Amino acid sequence: MKARVLIAGTLLFGMAAVAAMAVPGKTKTSSSGASTPAAQTRITPTSVTYAKSLGSSTAPVRIEVFSDYQCPQCRNFYLNTLRPVIDNYVSAGKVYLIHHDFPLAMHAYSHEAARWATAAAVVGDFETVDQALYTNQDKWETNGQIEPFVAAVLSPADMKKVKLLYTQSAPELDAAVATDQALGKSKNIDSTPTIFVTSRGETHELPPGGVSYQLMKQYLDYLLQR
Amino acid sequence: MMATSTAMHTVEATAQPMGFLARAFLLLGRLLLGGIFLVAGYAKLHFDGEWHLRDYYFFFSMAIDSYHMLPLWAVELAARFLPWFELLLGVMLILGLWARWAAAATSALLVVFFSAIVRAYLLHLDIACGCFGNNERLTGWTVLRDGSFLALSLAVAWFAFATHRRSARKS
Repeated sequence: MKARVLIAGTLLFGMAAVAAMAVPGKTKTSSSGASTPAAQTRITPTSVTYAKSLGSSTAPVRIEVFSDYQCPQCRNFYLNTLRPVIDNYVSAGKVYLIHHDFPLAMHAYSHEAARWATAAAVVGDFETVDQALYTNQDKWETNGQIEPFVAAVLSPADMKKVKLLYTQSAPELDAAVATDQALGKSKNIDSTPTIFVTSRGETHELPPGGVSYQLMKQYLDYLLQR
Repeated sequence: MMATSTAMHTVEATAQPMGFLARAFLLLGRLLLGGIFLVAGYAKLHFDGEWHLRDYYFFFSMAIDSYHMLPLWAVELAARFLPWFELLLGVMLILGLWARWAAAATSALLVVFFSAIVRAYLLHLDIACGCFGNNERLTGWTVLRDGSFLALSLAVAWFAFATHRRSARKS
C-alpha cells in the first residue's frame, strides 16, 4: 500500500514538474506575440557570436578572425591555415576559434554570404556552411547564387530552417552582422582577414594578409607551451 | 706656370667648402639613417606596449612570409636576425664605427627591401610592410618612403667612401 502511494506521489510530482517547465515556454512565445523564426530562435548578437565559434570557450588560446566570404585572401587563409587549425587545435580543445563577419563594401555578395552563414550558425550548422562558402567562393561570387552551395551541404530539414531564417529574419541576421562590423571598426580594422590571438590575457594582432599554417602552428605551439 | 699655380689655388679654395659640406652631409645622413635603422629594429622587438624578446620572430616571420619570396627556413632565419642586425647597423652609423662598411651594408639591405616592396606593390599584395613594426600596411607611401631611404643610404655610402679616399690621398 505504502509503495503504491509512493509511486503515485512520485508520478504526480513528476507531472507537476513537467507542467511547470512547459508553461513558461508557452507564455514566452505567446506573450511576445511574434511567430517569426527569429523570435522562436532568439537571434541576438551574443548568441550569434557564440554560434559562430568553434571549440571550447575555456581553451588556452583564442583566435578571432574578422573575415569576408568574398575576399580571396580570406578563402586562402581559411582553406590553408584555419582548416588545419580547426582539425588539429580546435578539435583538441587547445584553441577557441571565433568568426566575425566583416563584409567589405567592395564585394557585391559578401554581405549576403554572411547572412547565410549567420542563419546556418543559428541552426547549429555554422562550420559546415562556413567551409562550403569558402570552398565554393569562386563559383558563387560570379553571380551571387549562394543558396545551392548552402543546400548542398545541409540536410533538407536543416536547409528548410536556414532558408526560413534567411528569408524571414533578415533584419535580425543583418543586425548580428552589423554588430561584428562595429566590433571590427572599433578595432580599426579596414581589411580582411584580420586575426587576433589571445593567450594568458594578452591579445596580439597578427600581420595582415593571412598567415601560413606552418608559422601559425609554430606560434600556437609556443603559446601552448608557455 | 703662374697660371697653373693660380688654377690649383682656386681648386683648393673651392675644395675646402665642398669638403665641409660633404662631411656635414655625411654626418647628418649617418645620424638620420642610423636613427631610422634603430627605430626599425626596435619596433620589431617592442610592440603592443611591451618587449617581445622571446616571441618577436613569430610576428616578423609572418610579415616576411606574406611577401611569398623566401622558403620557410630563410623566413625564420631572417626574422630572428634582421631586427638585431638593423640595431647593430643603426649603432654603427650613429657612432661612425666602420661607417663606410656600415653604409654599404645598409645600402645593400635597403636594395633588397626596396625590391621586395616594389614587387609586392606591383603584385597588389595586401600585406604588412614589416618595416617599422609588424602591422604596418604596405602602400604607395611605403614605396616612396623606402625609396627615399635607399637614395639617402646610397648617397651616404658614396660620400663615406669618397671622404675616406680623399683623406687617404692627403695622408
